[in-house]
Amino acid sequence: MATTSAATGELKAGRPSTNDQDQKARAKKRAERRSRWIWRIAGYVFFIGVWQFSSTYLVKDFILPPPLTILETMQEIVTSGLLLKHFGATLEKIAIGFSLAFIIGAFIGILMGMNRWWEAFFSDWILILMTTPGLIFVLVSTMVFGLSYIGPIIAVVVTGFAYIAVNLVEGVKAAPKDLTDMARSYNVTRGRLIRHVIIPFLAPFIFTAIRYGFSVTWKVATLAEVIGGNEGIGFMMRREFQLFSMAGLLSWILLFFAFALFLERVVLQRQIDRFFRWRPEVTS
Amino acid sequence: MASIKVQNLRKEFVTSDSTVVALENASFEASGHVFVSVVGPSGCGKSTLLNILSGIETPTSGIAEITENGKKARNGYVFQAARLLPWRTVMDNLMFVQKDRDAKSRERCQRYLDMVDLGHTANKYPGQLSGGMQQRVGIARAFSIEPDVLLMDEPFSHLDAITGRSLRKELHQIWMETKKTVLFVTHDVGEAVELSNRMVIFGKGGRLREDLKIDLPFPRDPADDAVALTKANVLRKFEELDLVAS
Amino acid sequence: MIGMSSTVTVARGPIRLPQGFRRFWRSTKTARAISLVTFLVGWQLVIPLLPTALIPTPIEVGEFMWAEIRADTLAPETVYQAFATSLRRLVTGFGIALLIGIPLGLLMGLFKRVESFLHDFVVVGLAMPSLVWALIAAMWFGFVERSTIITVVLASVTFVIINVAEGVRAVPKDLLDMGKAYGTSDFHRVRHVVFPSLMPFLFASMRYGLANGWKGLVLAEIYASTSGAGWTIRFWYDARRAQGVIGYALFFMIFALFAERLVFKKLSDRVFRWRPSVGAQAPAETDGSAEEDLIELETAEDNLEREASGKH
Repeated sequence: MATTSAATGELKAGRPSTNDQDQKARAKKRAERRSRWIWRIAGYVFFIGVWQFSSTYLVKDFILPPPLTILETMQEIVTSGLLLKHFGATLEKIAIGFSLAFIIGAFIGILMGMNRWWEAFFSDWILILMTTPGLIFVLVSTMVFGLSYIGPIIAVVVTGFAYIAVNLVEGVKAAPKDLTDMARSYNVTRGRLIRHVIIPFLAPFIFTAIRYGFSVTWKVATLAEVIGGNEGIGFMMRREFQLFSMAGLLSWILLFFAFALFLERVVLQRQIDRFFRWRPEVTS
Repeated sequence: MASIKVQNLRKEFVTSDSTVVALENASFEASGHVFVSVVGPSGCGKSTLLNILSGIETPTSGIAEITENGKKARNGYVFQAARLLPWRTVMDNLMFVQKDRDAKSRERCQRYLDMVDLGHTANKYPGQLSGGMQQRVGIARAFSIEPDVLLMDEPFSHLDAITGRSLRKELHQIWMETKKTVLFVTHDVGEAVELSNRMVIFGKGGRLREDLKIDLPFPRDPADDAVALTKANVLRKFEELDLVAS
Repeated sequence: MIGMSSTVTVARGPIRLPQGFRRFWRSTKTARAISLVTFLVGWQLVIPLLPTALIPTPIEVGEFMWAEIRADTLAPETVYQAFATSLRRLVTGFGIALLIGIPLGLLMGLFKRVESFLHDFVVVGLAMPSLVWALIAAMWFGFVERSTIITVVLASVTFVIINVAEGVRAVPKDLLDMGKAYGTSDFHRVRHVVFPSLMPFLFASMRYGLANGWKGLVLAEIYASTSGAGWTIRFWYDARRAQGVIGYALFFMIFALFAERLVFKKLSDRVFRWRPSVGAQAPAETDGSAEEDLIELETAEDNLEREASGKH
């Protein structure tokens, strides 16, 4: 196998091999890839096997329902329209909360990036917001607003805007000074400067901010629903928990996961593509 | 008396794309109080040769062994980068490679550290030393096990000219005193001519092309005419063998 | 500020303010102070105006916290007892996570097959919000100590596994080769090369694992326990005493700061005392005579920065 230590770094300049040896190497690579897939599938088989075994022989059905039951429950949830209803509710909160968080966060972030005084003004609070567990915001907003719609949104906004602001501050600070100087030398107004120079440059930072802010957001939204919501995925999870229905809880958790994957892959991926259209070398 | 024996040595590396031949049918022998330099362009397999001789790599075929009176010899290896354990003190680094870790070994290590003028750094960490100092620790480490053979892989190539020069002088003195066998890999022909009395030249693809004696008297001053002339001759030989990049 | 001309205007109006005064207003320290004051004052003033009676004023929160510090509380546990309980559970749970995670991580790092086998589960484990672990453990084990500890294990074990696996993959091969060239034994190399090189990764696993474990623990204490910091915060929540909730939130932050500065930093300093200072200049090369300058070892601050920046 090839080594890459400094001692044999000169490897690349060695005499190229014959076709025969090339074929040998390629076959080896194919075998490796096959082995990896086999073991990956083996992992799933093992997992489901242990699950099935445990639920059949080790513990009561009730504590750990067998995989099939979970599948059935999941199917029920989907076909009964519950899934759509609660996903929709959660999604709605996330959308509203995150948009608000983004607007506030972007405004503060850009302000902080452009002006040191404002940066100092906000930075302690941003730090506190980022390190406080989302739970606290959820508890407080639920206490104040009761079991409702608003609590989760507020929790989302508060946690979300800090992440966004932080990322944008870095972005603005990194803005290429020659571009801004050029614009300033032409006496471009501040508004146009921001729109045409800074924001396009900020695109990757905005993207990072959205990506990470988003993944924090949906977790907080779900948590908020568990504690103080009256609809949504988190709320359903709490209901199943209170009803002591393991099948229900596990089903909703799995659906939650599918949901999260969907959000991160589909929704965000599209945004990535749009933003980076102007960059020739980036392929998603 | 130690002896190095390389016979029909071949080494191939199989990567995911292709197979590369690093050494092709190399053969040479050396023994006793000799300073052998192994010279050649990058990629000619010099480091691979050392790795095989020291046991880090195994040959694809052929023989490569270092013996001391018939038994397996003790080798000291000095690398291009010092390769010190950053999380251990200098003394602990030397103790790491000793056979017995007792007070006697500790004394011996201290002696060799003193020899390279770094006795006072025994309790410091490598991170506190400069590159040149680290390299000297590496040399002290190699000598501290009192090896039969010294393997050196471009040990001075990462150092600045001044440090390199003084280390070469030191190395030469130690070699003269201890009368060991040294196998010294370098791409710097001048360095090879200055230090060695035998030169093995490798070409691209791991092929051994030449095996020369360098008969000049020691000590050798690089500014000396004879040395400069020999260096020029060797370089011309390189060109003949078509080893110089065009 | 952007948009202003570059020439310095001495005064903006008829009143000329002394230079020092203006500099004071512009300084960043003042900004932070003003920010804090604005927040507190604003909070204190706005509260009576709000329709809800539930949000406490800063003073009320302060009073609550002061009482708690004096161990004068209405809750079943004092703040010290509550955090001690939670800390105990956290450490126990993480210890178990280490016992399970380190071997699995080693296997994962060494063998490609194990990596393929475990990979997807590790990904899921990392992304799973600690809330889910808390709910599952609570349902399975009920209202016992075990639920909280198991939550910690579940929430932190994947971080241990993945960091140890990374560490194994990153073991410096050149140092291992050096050991091999000098004929050292396998065990000797594992002890002096592999294990120390894993340290930064173990620390990273501690950082992320403990953070996630702590979050899960608090939730588990809320749902499945009758003691601990998480449960106490629920106590105040149920009692509708917002100053309790907010006060405890502040205690959480103080606790985290303590843990970070006292425990983590000290430990980190000790284990990594061999690291050279970040940005230190290498001493100038000399001709080998004695009395050369030695690079300063890393200070504690550098250490903290290095860890915080997420460097493995």
